[in-house]
Amino acid sequence: MNELERAGNGVNGQALSKPKTLTSLEVYDLYGSMAYGIILQILPQVHLAQEVLVSVFSSPQLQSCNSYPFTFAACVIKLARAKAVEAKRKLTALAPIGEHTSGDASPQSIFDLAFRQGFTPEEVAGKLNISKSEVLRSFHEFFKSYRNV
Amino acid sequence: MSKQEFIESGILESHLMGLTSEEEQEQVAEMMLSDRELSEYVTELEDDIKRYFAEGAVAPPEAVREIILLRSIREKKGRSSYDSGQTTDTAQYLNVEVNDTHMKVHKLWRPAFIAVFVLSKIFLIAGLYFYFKSVAQQEEIEKIKTEMQLNGK
Repeated sequence: MNELERAGNGVNGQALSKPKTLTSLEVYDLYGSMAYGIILQILPQVHLAQEVLVSVFSSPQLQSCNSYPFTFAACVIKLARAKAVEAKRKLTALAPIGEHTSGDASPQSIFDLAFRQGFTPEEVAGKLNISKSEVLRSFHEFFKSYRNV
Repeated sequence: MSKQEFIESGILESHLMGLTSEEEQEQVAEMMLSDRELSEYVTELEDDIKRYFAEGAVAPPEAVREIILLRSIREKKGRSSYDSGQTTDTAQYLNVEVNDTHMKVHKLWRPAFIAVFVLSKIFLIAGLYFYFKSVAQQEEIEKIKTEMQLNGK
């Protein structure tokens, strides 16, 4: 199962705060700029980012957000990241970029590697010589520190 | 794993960002179904994550919205014609206003136009040739007539 498929499949359960079924355009009006911001963080090339943005909101996977157990925002975040990472992988397959070698294991750095650079938690753990559970814990620490700011 | 340990493990954050495996997704589902407080915590966490990413929001160009709108209309039309099992002529196409002065014709018109052009040139040259020839003959006849009149005198 790839990241896009994972993005479309949430856990089974009741929707937590889902008001109604939204169309692609309604979701775009609500979360388009947030999704574009996320895509640009992963893929700074503006034209490519716009193509990915269109593909996110034209994707049939977006309709699965209607049955997603969390909010549309969470679903859009997942989908935007998955599509942008997929496009970035295609791009880096053509022109590989330098490896991340800073060895910084701060929550911010781990979040950047996993979310913005598109590495899986296992890959991040391997790069930084730490366990996967430490990587996941760093995500918690990252958002905890954000909440406390 | 206790609830607090589960929260601090970071699985929930990873799950909301699409970084969890299937096994971890199932674990999250089980924990959320069994614990209402955890569900409430996830809702708060979602708000935090949404707020974090909303801070980095960038307004996309208006053209992107237009493209998404066109695609959703096309999809809707495609879906409705598929659902009804009818394929009417109007359902297959988008009504697009074309501001173009060009027209398309069958490709056989090209050799036909070339043949008409070549024939017109041949007739024009032939016409000019016979015109000048007749003028020259006319002059020759006039000249002979004049000579004959002079000889008769």
